[in-house]
Amino acid sequence: MKKPFKKIFFLALVLVAAAIGYGFYLFYKKPPDIRQESASYTFTADSIATVYNQNENEANKKFLNQVVAIKGIISKIIIDSSKSQATIILSTNDPLTGITCSFYDSEAGSLKHLKQGDEVVVKGVCTGKLMDIVLNRCSIQH
Amino acid sequence: MKKIFIALAGLCCFYFVHAQKKYYTKTGTVSFEAGTSVEDVNAINKSVTSIFDASSGQYEFALLINGFEFRRALMQQHFNEDYMESDKYPKAFFKGVIVNISSINFSKDGSYPGTVKGTLTIHNVSKEIEVPGTFIIHGGNISAKAQFNVALADYNISVPGLVKDKISKIVKVFVDCSYTML
Repeated sequence: MKKPFKKIFFLALVLVAAAIGYGFYLFYKKPPDIRQESASYTFTADSIATVYNQNENEANKKFLNQVVAIKGIISKIIIDSSKSQATIILSTNDPLTGITCSFYDSEAGSLKHLKQGDEVVVKGVCTGKLMDIVLNRCSIQH
Repeated sequence: MKKIFIALAGLCCFYFVHAQKKYYTKTGTVSFEAGTSVEDVNAINKSVTSIFDASSGQYEFALLINGFEFRRALMQQHFNEDYMESDKYPKAFFKGVIVNISSINFSKDGSYPGTVKGTLTIHNVSKEIEVPGTFIIHGGNISAKAQFNVALADYNISVPGLVKDKISKIVKVFVDCSYTML
């Protein structure tokens, strides 16, 4: 009678320790590094702009918080070294809609050889649409 | 025909806007500190859109709630799903005026105090606010900075009891935008 009780007690202890460990793991887990993830959707700048302009809510339901890769032409590169902030704006076929791609701070270096008019593929998390469609945590996909 | 007319009207507006000395940014930052002594809870949004009219003083901000980046995945998840309900209310807005626009000389370098007054909409709740800030003009570049407090209760943002001592009831908000001429 004594032995199985001991076993159960030990098992319970291991389970509790595992649960606490898992709790800590969840609590301290960093947001995923998008650079390491592959895109769930691939678009051209024009096609995602069309999808968002047709029905923003529907587009959000599908693409919000998803990793997307977008191919487009650079209309502007904004690097603010004082805030270590790097952004590329892609143009679309709608002059009022661009795609604002906010890069990882550490990716600023990879934008240095780029210029306005270049075609690039940007990978990032779709965050929604203000005037522009916004991608966060971006990197250049090669 | 109607569509063409609307498009033309839109274009006219665009040029009219152009003539009015408006400034805009799509890469403004808004960050906040909602931590207590128990826990740091900070986040930053780097793609804030803002526009102002240097003659009338009209001033607008818009940001995506989903665009706030946290240090920890779980914080970001709770923020979006539980507190801000960002799938239902994906955006926050400010719409108002720079009250003392006439005392800011946008063509002369310097640091000018500016007071902005208007309606802040977060979590589908709109409140009148008045915020003191600073406009910095340096070599033709215009930037604006401000700091103000937001009480969670004012915007019906409720925090469950379990984490009540970890999240401040008053959140410090920091705004930092560098503008370019439209």
